[in-house]
Amino acid sequence: MIKLSIDGREVEVEPGTTVLEAAATLGIDIPHYCYHPDIGVDGNCRICLVEVNGNTDKLAIGCKFPCGEGMEVETESEAVVKARKGVMEFLLINHPLDCTICDQAGECPLQDYSYHYGTGDSRFAEKKRNKPKHVEFSEKVMFDAERCILCTRCTRFFEEVRDCRPIGVENMGGKSTITTGPNGPIQDPYQMNIIDICPVGALTSRDFRFKQRVWFMDFADTVCPGCSKGCNITAGSYQGKLLRFVPRRNTEVNASWMCDDGRLSYDKYNMPERVRGASVSGDPASFDAARAKITELVGDGQGVAVLASTSQTSEELFAVREWARTARVRDLWHGERTWESDDFLKQADATPNTAGAQALGYASVPSQAPELRGLIVVGDVDVPPALLANLDFLIQQAPQAGELGEAAVVLLPGRNALEKNGHWTNGDGAVQEVRAARDPGPDVPEDWTIWRDLAGVSWTSIAEITKAMGAVSTADAEAVTAS
Amino acid sequence: MKASTVISGRFDTKNSQSIETYRKDGGYETWSTVLDEKRDPDSLIDEVKASGLRGRGGAGFSTGMKWSFVPKQTDKPKYLCVNGDESEPGTFKDRQILEFDPHQLLEGVALTCYAVQAHTAYIYLRCEFKLGIATVKAAIKEAYEAGMFGKDIHGSGFDLDVSVTIGAGAYICGEETSLLNSIEGVRPYPRNKPPFPAVEGLFGCPTVINNVETIANIPHIIKNGAEWHTKLGCPEDPGSRLWGISGHVAKPRWVELETGYKLQDLIDGPCGGIRKGHTLKAIIPGGSSSKVLLPDQVARVTMDTPGIRAEGSSLGSAAIIVLDDSVCMVDAVLNLMKFYAHESCGQCTPCREGTPWVVQVLQRIHSGKGRTVDMDLLLDIAHNMEGRTVCALADGACWPLTSIVKKFRHEFEAKIVAAPSATSSKVASA
Repeated sequence: MIKLSIDGREVEVEPGTTVLEAAATLGIDIPHYCYHPDIGVDGNCRICLVEVNGNTDKLAIGCKFPCGEGMEVETESEAVVKARKGVMEFLLINHPLDCTICDQAGECPLQDYSYHYGTGDSRFAEKKRNKPKHVEFSEKVMFDAERCILCTRCTRFFEEVRDCRPIGVENMGGKSTITTGPNGPIQDPYQMNIIDICPVGALTSRDFRFKQRVWFMDFADTVCPGCSKGCNITAGSYQGKLLRFVPRRNTEVNASWMCDDGRLSYDKYNMPERVRGASVSGDPASFDAARAKITELVGDGQGVAVLASTSQTSEELFAVREWARTARVRDLWHGERTWESDDFLKQADATPNTAGAQALGYASVPSQAPELRGLIVVGDVDVPPALLANLDFLIQQAPQAGELGEAAVVLLPGRNALEKNGHWTNGDGAVQEVRAARDPGPDVPEDWTIWRDLAGVSWTSIAEITKAMGAVSTADAEAVTAS
Repeated sequence: MKASTVISGRFDTKNSQSIETYRKDGGYETWSTVLDEKRDPDSLIDEVKASGLRGRGGAGFSTGMKWSFVPKQTDKPKYLCVNGDESEPGTFKDRQILEFDPHQLLEGVALTCYAVQAHTAYIYLRCEFKLGIATVKAAIKEAYEAGMFGKDIHGSGFDLDVSVTIGAGAYICGEETSLLNSIEGVRPYPRNKPPFPAVEGLFGCPTVINNVETIANIPHIIKNGAEWHTKLGCPEDPGSRLWGISGHVAKPRWVELETGYKLQDLIDGPCGGIRKGHTLKAIIPGGSSSKVLLPDQVARVTMDTPGIRAEGSSLGSAAIIVLDDSVCMVDAVLNLMKFYAHESCGQCTPCREGTPWVVQVLQRIHSGKGRTVDMDLLLDIAHNMEGRTVCALADGACWPLTSIVKKFRHEFEAKIVAAPSATSSKVASA
């Protein structure tokens, strides 16, 4: 271990730790643009300059400078603040300062650091440099060269993370700009990550741009339901309507990335058309009436099976299982849905909680399914047609009824993957917390309450189920909860 | 002032570039002896260290010391890169060696590779050196044919391959780590240091990078011994250098002189004084990236590292740019700063944004729209650039800028006072 002092505070770090990383352990934020923890160090922006051992002639870059034994680092000394103000001034003299119409406004480090190191007045009396402003990097990404501060996070993302070079730096000096060059539009299916890591508004999402100022939006830290990777995301919405997903850093799962398919899937969870309230035989009914009908239909549970979606949270699946136990329904199956996987994040299992369902005893639908009298479909799940033959009754509890809806004797509402709370277990066994990013509106109670009431259990919160589930499910207890 | 012919001895000879001419003077004998005697490679490093040779590229770092940083125990290949990207404004010394006596460079390459145990050398030449490139390539071919390069040279078991890499004409590629990136075929942004190239250089392997003239000195030092070299010129910075004198002297030229001479003597003697009818105004003594000297400094400065440091400047690439009383210093510094703004690679914020800004301010002053605050603004922009970037390009831009603004402030003020907008502290707000 190496001992050093940062701003007069002692800290001990592993050899090889940089000053920026060491400072972070003390809660000292050294400003940075080009450095990104999941891309690595470049050292071009020069905003992270720090003073080492009183050397004010040559300041060190905190993002790269390794900690040394007995080193004395100053992150806010007079020389450091002067240098940072200088760098901020350099970055802003040719920046268009079009924050008023820039999508990055409100989540822009250029704004944030200006607040700390900006002078509030400009010494720049010259004409600003003009560069291309509406460059289509692809059908997903738009580039504004005037806003760009040339930190090269975007080019390095492709080089370091995606092992490709669809964009690069063109020209030299002040004329430098990012370009697709002769490559044509970016094709990479993870390209939208460059929008998030761009520290300014140079790269914007053609899907999200100009839709909403971020400070009016609501955000929920949750998990992408698109596949069994469970990329951590922040879902942004405005007045209950989801407007975007962006990845949330989790080094155990997705680092700072997510696939474009997952990112652009947000709109399907807005669900203008959906099941509201209960119905029996196609007619609106009270939840009490629907429950009474289910109890009557299931009877002794013989010849009845549950087919649940693996987009349901483990808590919801646990509640279903509790009901099934009391109703003596023995066959608990989970649905399957796949899409094309890739060699990075995207998994073939296009649902987020197969592992959680399996840990709770849900099995794949057997290839030789037993003859069924009744089937209970829970959540957004694809039902194998063979199961539907010769059924006496079908019960469905789902956000959207789909083609099954008309056949269901009892139809109950459900919350979709962005409206749930609880946990999902990803394909690697990580149990991750899922938080509702939107409210579905009236007559769509939380799924678990429906099964709780059927089972006659007295849980009053998800947390109680999580606790109860922990006592019966060993698989969950071993996994790490990542956030 | 002692004229010298260590490097330039054959320049005026007919067919000076051929291997026959070189061998007539005992060329490649040192290389053959080193191989035949199986000399300890470290003894060559010690010899060069003891010789006091400083790099001729600009920074003036001890050559032997640089070599000694190359790790002895490593599984990686080691490389030598010869920096022939000579592009510091005012500099035209390496070009003479490349065009007139490439074999002393090549023998130096062989000896250097042997000293650091490198088996591959790249000679990096700027594309504008068409004759130099052709001459060096022909010389390499001759050296291979003469058995000086190749596999198992002289039955010693030592292999050496030497080739020419051609740059695309960017000043930044003369920065040693930028040069490495250029050879590797990636965008030639300078690299952050540490790690230094001696440890992690070309393709991530230990690499020595030396200037053409530095390497050309090596055969002479190994042949004549370190002590011989220490007796050339100034004891603290010994050796014989090629000096390039351009600008307003009667006879602009290159000349080989031992270090330690008086600059005034060079101007008055070999250069024939300042051109007729004019007087000396200033000298930029070490390539455009050095601080300007005033006539009184020129009168007393000795041309060696301690001497020039005492006057606050540097020898750099030994390119002496002489400016007489016809020169407008605002014009001169604007011209220089345009070069740096054009050649900034654009990697680091302060240089990418600072060098063009300086040009804009100078252009405004030059066009009569200067403000009284502009001189201090220029100095402060320079302060925010100097020492704040990956490489020394920004420093190289700041040194002539700050020294000229400080020493010729009156010329800037004269431009500004004459300007109609001088009383306004602001032209427009950004």
